[in-house]
Amino acid sequence: MIRISGLVKRFGGLEAVKKLDLHVPAGEIFGFLGPNGAGKTTTVKLLCGLLKPTEGSLSVAGFDVGSRTLEAKRSLGLVPDEPFVYPKLSGAEYLRFIGELYGVPLPEQRRRIPELLEMFELGRWGGELVESYSHGMRQKLVIAGVLLHQPKVLLLDEPMVGLDPKSARMAKEILLTLSKRGTTIFMCTHILEIAEKLCHRIGIMIAGSLVALGTLPELRAQASREGSDLEDVFLSLTGGTEYAALLKNL
Amino acid sequence: MTCAPSPRLGLLLRRRAACLRNSFRSLSAYEWVRNAAFSAAGVGLLLGLYWGFHRMVAYLDGVELIGKLLIWKLTAMMLLTTFSMVAISGLLTSLTTLYYSYDLRFLMQAPVPIRAIFLDKSLESIFFSSWMIGLVLVPYIAALADVGGYGWGFYAAFFLLLGPFLALASSAGIAFTLVILYCFPSSRTRDAVYIIATFSLTLVYGLIRFAEPEKLIRPDALHVVADYLKFLRAPTAPYAPSWWLTKALSSVAAGNAAAFWRHAALLAGCAAFVYALLVLLAGRVYFVGYSGAQEGSLRRLEPPLGPLLEGRLAGLLGAGRDLATLFWRERKCFFRDVKHWSQILLILGLIFVYLYSVKRIPLDNQDVRSVISFLNVGVAGFVIAALGLRFTYPAISLEGRSWWVVGSAPVSLRTVMRQKYLFSAIPMLAVAFTLGLWTNRLLETDAFTSWLSLSTLLLMTGVIVAMGIGYGALFPMFNVENIHQIESSLGGFVYMASSLSYVGFTIMILSWPMQMHFKERFGKAAAWDWRIVGLCVLAVVALNALALVVPWTLGRRKLEAYEGS
Repeated sequence: MIRISGLVKRFGGLEAVKKLDLHVPAGEIFGFLGPNGAGKTTTVKLLCGLLKPTEGSLSVAGFDVGSRTLEAKRSLGLVPDEPFVYPKLSGAEYLRFIGELYGVPLPEQRRRIPELLEMFELGRWGGELVESYSHGMRQKLVIAGVLLHQPKVLLLDEPMVGLDPKSARMAKEILLTLSKRGTTIFMCTHILEIAEKLCHRIGIMIAGSLVALGTLPELRAQASREGSDLEDVFLSLTGGTEYAALLKNL
Repeated sequence: MTCAPSPRLGLLLRRRAACLRNSFRSLSAYEWVRNAAFSAAGVGLLLGLYWGFHRMVAYLDGVELIGKLLIWKLTAMMLLTTFSMVAISGLLTSLTTLYYSYDLRFLMQAPVPIRAIFLDKSLESIFFSSWMIGLVLVPYIAALADVGGYGWGFYAAFFLLLGPFLALASSAGIAFTLVILYCFPSSRTRDAVYIIATFSLTLVYGLIRFAEPEKLIRPDALHVVADYLKFLRAPTAPYAPSWWLTKALSSVAAGNAAAFWRHAALLAGCAAFVYALLVLLAGRVYFVGYSGAQEGSLRRLEPPLGPLLEGRLAGLLGAGRDLATLFWRERKCFFRDVKHWSQILLILGLIFVYLYSVKRIPLDNQDVRSVISFLNVGVAGFVIAALGLRFTYPAISLEGRSWWVVGSAPVSLRTVMRQKYLFSAIPMLAVAFTLGLWTNRLLETDAFTSWLSLSTLLLMTGVIVAMGIGYGALFPMFNVENIHQIESSLGGFVYMASSLSYVGFTIMILSWPMQMHFKERFGKAAAWDWRIVGLCVLAVVALNALALVVPWTLGRRKLEAYEGS
């Protein structure tokens, strides 16, 4: 479903993504981890056509993102790390806008928009302008938006940030259900517990390079940390224990 | 635990200086060259203004006996206008900077005294609300000094007082915002303030026009000479700081140092007093207004689950669903933003004053009226370009941080740009049509000139709107806090300079057929040289193709390769 070959992205002198090769098949939940500034969000932006690659190619649902951009975008749903949506639209209007842009038939929009608003406990807020929403409410609205058009591939950049525990639980269950139905989910997250519980495979990126890739047992083996949890594996691969001396001075 | 002293204004200003320094350091060679070129164009524009002002002041100076009176009356009017504009601009700018800046959430929760935040934000408001209007004064003052032979002391006096003058004007606007948001701390108040401010601006604009400044150069407009002299000698708003600045400048021009210092002290003292009062007041009232302004306005809107109006129209016209959807969203967002309503109010005022001015042109000769009607194409073109700077040019950038929605959606950037074009072109063509048609009617223009001027104006409007969208895409600014930052950016300047050049070239080309038309009216045989007409048509086609295609294509490519956050 997602195929990335020799992907390079440079911003001036900075190489944000270095020769990335990755294949995520249909129905897989893929967790993309890495420290801040590792290149995860850049990769997501490249996948959804918000950035152009310097080298290499990406394809989504069989469509090359560079040459068949619109078909690729039609198969995608993006939940960005910062859920900014038009402040002067109401929640229901935003969903309507998304429905129209992604070609969802009107009878289906009529049925699903109120359902989705209710599902995310936004029913009471559907008629209010987005400018009056909290961060978490906007996050829920954006997730509702991608569910409305039922994409084949979901790109999620920190989807749980800002969600209350109930909504976060629901979001996790939604992802599992979608995955079972064949939707590919590409998720950047810093919440290792979520990655551990949800993801079929995990990739760890550091400074633009994919340094580890595989299932949790495979990652444990790579990090030589049998029986440890993802946090230990992640820290041993990314290096996270050298702050012990700093802690003493805190 | 240690308790650090609260950071003061110095620290806040140092972070601004650091940001500015870093912006300069991160400029590439191309950006340096580009900025230098545009700055040079800006200087050229100021030189053009200087040339125009110089001619006008020199003309007034040549009027026997009352030349100097005329000049100082004009100066007083100019400064009063500047003061009013900066005050209203300060009101509008401070609404954003004081209550809706991105960094306020951080500053408000940090251990920074509220007065330090106010000082930082109010200085920003003063700068952004006044720099451009203040800059336009410089060529006027330079022309005044040159014609009067006043020397460097005059310039020194002007620059010494310019700061307090602009600060005082802007402080008046800020004070209004501060008080009104304290009394009614809600986002609804913000909307009301926008409307009040714009209504005031429209009123000021109308009052200036109805004050009939043309009386300055047309003594016959007043019944007797005594009335005229009385009008010239009378102070223009004697209690307004603009009058103190006028008196200070006229005193230094006349070599009266004592009078200069008296008025300078009055102006500077008043500015310092008002600003100090503002800072004192801010300590008590600023946070209340800030807190209230953070609440979103609640309104219960019906879920839009029926067919969209735009969708139905698109079905009838054979346009795409994407275009219709984008148009629907733009319409909803546009009309819900009170800032846009207020601007519409301003435009209605502008049209009214424009047509009133046309009606007041004292012309009895049919031929001269036709010439004026033709030249009106240039003036109306300028008006359309100015409106484009406010409405069309920012259209792409106003997608703001929601750009990712459209950017990641299955919709081409061509469609996005076309939708923006349509949304802007429809009202702009209506304005152009109103201005062109009514001007021709009021001036009773002959049929040929009427058709030529009206069709040219409509063509120019279509192209100027395309230039606005093209340049807007070429210089996108998705992370700005207010629309004024988009308008006053480098891209805004390039758009304005390009569209005005386009208007100028169009008038130049069409002046040939107009000449031939007048030769025919004056009875000259074989007045029409069809080779020249053909050449003009070719030139018009080439100019419009260039103006339409170049910014549009460059803009689309830039937007496709956009890599900002």
